Amino acid sequence: MHRMLGGGLRRLLTLFLILLAGSFSMASAEPREGGTLKVFSSGWRTLNPAVQSGASAGVPGSQIFAGLVEVRDNFEITPYGAESWELSDDKMSVTFKLREAKFHDGEPVTSEDVKFSLFAARDNHPFGTVMFGRIKDVETPAPDTVVFNLTEPTPGLMLSLQPLLMPILPKHIYDDGQELKTHLRNNENVIGSGPFKLVENTIGERIVLEKNEGFFIEGRPYLDRIVITAVSDQLTRLLMIENGELDYAPNVGLRYTDADRLEKKEGLIVTSRGFEALAAVAYLELNLRKEPFTDVNVRRALAHALDRELMNQIVFGGRSRVGEGPLHSNNPLFTPGAPAYEFDMEKAAAMLDEAGLTAGADGKRFGFVLDIPTWAPHMWVPFAEYIQAQYSKLGIDVELRRAPDFGTWAGRVASWEYDATVNGSFNYPDPTIGVERHLRCDNIRNVTWSNTQGYCDPEMDEILAKAAVETDFETRRALYDQVQRKAMEDVALLYLVQEYSTTVYTTKLGNPPLSPFGALAPYYDVYLED
Amino acid sequence: MILRRIVYAFVLLLAVLVMNFALIHLAPGDPVETLVGEMGGATPEFIEQMRAAYGLDQPFYIQLATYLGRVAQGDFGFSLYFNRPVLELMFHRIGPTILLVVTAVLIALTLGTFLGVLAAQRRNSWLSHLVTVFSLVGYSTPVFWVGIMLILVFSVALPIFPIAGMYQSDTSATGLAFLLEVLHHLILPAMTLALIYLAFYTRLSRASMIDVLDSDYVRTARAKGLKNYLVIYKHALRNAILPVVTFAGLQFGQVLSGAVLVETVFGWPGLGTLAYDSILRRDTPTLLAILFFSASLVIVVNMVTDIVYRYIDPRMRAEQ
Repeated sequence: MHRMLGGGLRRLLTLFLILLAGSFSMASAEPREGGTLKVFSSGWRTLNPAVQSGASAGVPGSQIFAGLVEVRDNFEITPYGAESWELSDDKMSVTFKLREAKFHDGEPVTSEDVKFSLFAARDNHPFGTVMFGRIKDVETPAPDTVVFNLTEPTPGLMLSLQPLLMPILPKHIYDDGQELKTHLRNNENVIGSGPFKLVENTIGERIVLEKNEGFFIEGRPYLDRIVITAVSDQLTRLLMIENGELDYAPNVGLRYTDADRLEKKEGLIVTSRGFEALAAVAYLELNLRKEPFTDVNVRRALAHALDRELMNQIVFGGRSRVGEGPLHSNNPLFTPGAPAYEFDMEKAAAMLDEAGLTAGADGKRFGFVLDIPTWAPHMWVPFAEYIQAQYSKLGIDVELRRAPDFGTWAGRVASWEYDATVNGSFNYPDPTIGVERHLRCDNIRNVTWSNTQGYCDPEMDEILAKAAVETDFETRRALYDQVQRKAMEDVALLYLVQEYSTTVYTTKLGNPPLSPFGALAPYYDVYLED
Repeated sequence: MILRRIVYAFVLLLAVLVMNFALIHLAPGDPVETLVGEMGGATPEFIEQMRAAYGLDQPFYIQLATYLGRVAQGDFGFSLYFNRPVLELMFHRIGPTILLVVTAVLIALTLGTFLGVLAAQRRNSWLSHLVTVFSLVGYSTPVFWVGIMLILVFSVALPIFPIAGMYQSDTSATGLAFLLEVLHHLILPAMTLALIYLAFYTRLSRASMIDVLDSDYVRTARAKGLKNYLVIYKHALRNAILPVVTFAGLQFGQVLSGAVLVETVFGWPGLGTLAYDSILRRDTPTLLAILFFSASLVIVVNMVTDIVYRYIDPRMRAEQ
């Protein structure tokens, strides 16, 4: 009792101190207008997120364009370009009431723009069909009212209506008969209705965005300008952060040792928040068309031979979490407890023996080539080397193969001409976008980050199909728990460790973009202290 | 003679065009695959659409003929990755690269020659040995490493120079203030690039100067009672500098390749970073245009070196 009370008091005292510290920091955190936010980018090819996924288009794109909704902390969907919405009782249509807003060229944003944008994203975004394929038609009964009619209930729809995935494009500019993917206005004189206007876009050099004085949220944005500078070298980026030449460095690709160092540096904050909606998982992708990976018991044996907690320690300093299946633990639909493959080399050897893969006179069982992707070498190279070392203990010869460039690696994987690769992919906010693609039979395609490994199971397809349209959250979560368990049992992919992404920013940054979409969300609330 | 050189140069350029095109097409990997990979995936139909749009579905010889025909008209195509005309992209990047490369070559040439001459005058002194060691170390050190070390010392430990870029990302400077800002950003990358060639020119001018200082006419000049600096800089250096000038021309291509690394480390927005990005992204039209440009530059610089050589070496004029 006494110990409990002592523990309780200690916790209370800690809480009090945290609140006190918080109140001090909040006292100095009065939003200030003005200032230039300096951000980096590793390069960009377009500023229109309707035709390209990822951060390169998303960071500037979400500032230039608005969306219908925003995704706030804990995946709460809040009004943005739409001031309200109503889901029909049968969940087959959603009616949005639009805010009064103007594009940067002064033209009003209307329901026709929203309709145009939805179809533009559906037809041009890499995930367009997955996100918006269930929209049967769009009605525009009034300039401020738009109705999406669905073929089936689509629980993931709302999450896809924020600016990153469905930016509201000006129809009067883009509906001119030009191909949207290569439209010149994706890069030059880009017009949206977001909090910042494009002033300069020098490819490979910098993007300059300026405050949109006519932004539809009064009193926002706080910042005067955002400058996004191209810095392709990772080390240079790191030094720029340390030297205060960048205010905000999202997804900077830090080694954990660098993160440790930066955490101790005064004036800087290191966080792994702001990636919840992207949520990357790392896995060993075995080509399931090739022997002996066709045998699920061999795949399970290979899973037992990896100490994934040690991998987490080696590469991320224990900052991340061992993979528990295709869903990232940050996803609200994630349920912990899927069967794991405990690290057990003897068991792995016995399972390989049982599968008929006994060691020959030279002690070798079999061999394969393991491809290493070109990005994030701080993660993939040690992962691959660890896998090679572990499997060699079992008599499996692993030859590591590095590609000279992304195209070479992607070409091997997309053409299915590979034995295995370490790989990783984003979950995105809804599993219909980022998870399904690796598991559905009808998505075995010659395209990277589809079901390139060739996994096909009708039962899995059935569960995925049900989960995609299930509108009751708990039932849906239970269905994805089944997906999780089945993917682990079948070793559809051999899940290693959840990727650890870091953002570094200056303590002068107020309201840093740390919502689930993080750097890819609008920055109208962000401000810089003096 | 000059006309013949120009004809050779054109034949060489044609060969360069064909070779570059063939080599890039022989390399594994596919530009469209890279592009859709970076876009996050796409349908097979979309991939085919892209291949057709960029003419990549045509046989090799048709692609080559089309490419040569376009280049002859001054059209270097449309960047697959950056979604812009290649010439427009290059136009923005040539200036910064020329600024960087010319500054580096000038620093390397003048400082290298000066150090070489100094070492040659006291050939067995500690200064001479120091110059030799410095040259060897400088020549064998990887350029990107030198860059990172200079950043660590002069930007992080002693924050004198900025880490990256050609100007402050949020600059509002104009006119002279902007020029000074660029100069401030230029010093570290130019020094990095110059260091390697500085070592080379130092060694070369030292060796050349030692040869010349042993010659009869220098002895005669000294016997006439000329002041040392006149003997060195007026009589000896004019002859000793010939191999340095020749190598400066021959090495211009190497300086350009060094610029790729230096620009990447220092985030310098030149052709080097564009080349780096184009290689990584398999942006074939951009890469081909950069390779063509750098090859042309090397050929032209070599040609100019030949011509200049004739003017500064009276023996060549006499032969003519």
